[in-house]
Amino acid sequence: MTLAIAGRTTEALLALEQVGFSYPDGSVGLADCSLSIMRGSRNALIGANGSGKTTVFQHTNGLLRPQAGAVRYAGQAIDYSRGGLRRLRSKVGMVFQNPDRQLFSASVLEDVSFGPCNLGLDSTTVRDRVAAALHAVGMSAFADKAVHHLSFGQKKRVCIAGVLAMEPELLVLDEPMAGLDYRMQEELLAVLDGLHARGITLLLATHDIDFAYRWADQIHLMRAGSCTASLDAVHLAEYAGELSAQGLPLPAVIPLQHGLTARGLLSREQRPRSCAELLAVLEGGQSAAGARP
Amino acid sequence: MLIEQCAYANRWRKAAPAAKGLFSLCGFVAAFAAARPETALLVAALVALSTIAGAGVSPGHYLRVALPALAFLALGCISLAFSLDLNAATGAIGLQFAPDGLGKLAAVGARSLAALAALLFLALTTPLIDLVALLRRLKAPETLLEIMVLCYRMLFVFSEAVHDTLTAQSARLGYATPRLAMRSLGGLAANLTLQVWERAHALHVAAQARNNDGPLRFMEPHFEQTARAVGIAATAGSGLIALALGLR
Repeated sequence: MTLAIAGRTTEALLALEQVGFSYPDGSVGLADCSLSIMRGSRNALIGANGSGKTTVFQHTNGLLRPQAGAVRYAGQAIDYSRGGLRRLRSKVGMVFQNPDRQLFSASVLEDVSFGPCNLGLDSTTVRDRVAAALHAVGMSAFADKAVHHLSFGQKKRVCIAGVLAMEPELLVLDEPMAGLDYRMQEELLAVLDGLHARGITLLLATHDIDFAYRWADQIHLMRAGSCTASLDAVHLAEYAGELSAQGLPLPAVIPLQHGLTARGLLSREQRPRSCAELLAVLEGGQSAAGARP
Repeated sequence: MLIEQCAYANRWRKAAPAAKGLFSLCGFVAAFAAARPETALLVAALVALSTIAGAGVSPGHYLRVALPALAFLALGCISLAFSLDLNAATGAIGLQFAPDGLGKLAAVGARSLAALAALLFLALTTPLIDLVALLRRLKAPETLLEIMVLCYRMLFVFSEAVHDTLTAQSARLGYATPRLAMRSLGGLAANLTLQVWERAHALHVAAQARNNDGPLRFMEPHFEQTARAVGIAATAGSGLIALALGLR
């Protein structure tokens, strides 16, 4: 984990610069929205429903085009020509919230092969990529199954595999934990950690502030179509006011940490990001400030 | 759903769909080549036996799937046995037993049974996704295949949506009286229409996100020992046709 953080660069892989976008019915999707995603980082986008998270995501993949401002990928403004979008979409993979709105072949194997086939790869490469993607999400045994015979969590994994098979640099996931039970969430989290260890930059939307604090390197707060703060997750406690404006509490571990610090049981430098990490610190199993499990 | 269940759970699930398609085709040819009803019935029995004993489809499931088709076939055959009789003097129309009705009934009925057995063999041993892949290899029109792929996938998505909406309506007494039921059905239809439109748009966006620019392209599934399976199917199928032609 530490290695992964150390491996993170300061290069912005994707940047939205003062992006504005309104939908045809007049509702504002994004208003002067700026945020940057660093290469190799794990990012959580947090905001209430309607705050513009999905609109941001659709801009990252070129599904929507900004009406004001610009979107840059690896420092270059996105080229919205057919070829430019093809290049962008082969690098930015997007996983939608509802798997039934993404999977349109009834066969797992076929659906995962859809992206690589669209890239015009030869059949051997497509076959290799599909096998590797299904392996990465732990779904190799389900390759010959029909999509409608899978559980919701398994469908989500197939969605991720379908995007992974395109070998993206940035994986964007719209509320990946929605609708998953605790076990499925943990399994999906292990998949995401595996992808991050392989160097894939991750951006996901979530309403779970505890999860975002525990998992992300960077947190981006969205409100009314604008990114109101982009911060290192470790500094989240300083944004209590902004979270409160969104109707979100601080992660449960932060008040606990403050209480323990006030009683002298924890030093100010120690910032455990989850209850398990806090427990480890208290038991003396982990003493490095801000260290992750 | 029963067909789905059999297609995924039978012993020949992993056999090459080309082989199963070939055997089924031979079954059709044998059905039409059979000169006598008894021969056609023998072909039907052999193909049904292959499905039940060979592929391991349970006889109960087989009968349940075949029953609607058999009922339809029975109705059709009965109509062949009778002809309309118009009385010129009185102008009355009556039913009359056709002189060659029984012969026709036996010939058409037996051939249809054999053809039905051949069709059931394919449907109960081969999932539709494999059939679509086979049709793709056979260069069937892309548009037709895309419609098949989408319809098949959406069938399950919408059956779930219908089930959910029906449950939600029933939980609020939506079907308590005939009048309310009509109203709820209308609501269900309207709701589904909107969902169809929304889903179509969502799928289009999802396809775009994965670099799609028109035709739906998929990888061809790989089946082990395809040549061997096709060889066996060809031999068995030829045997069926030879039997049908031989027993005259």
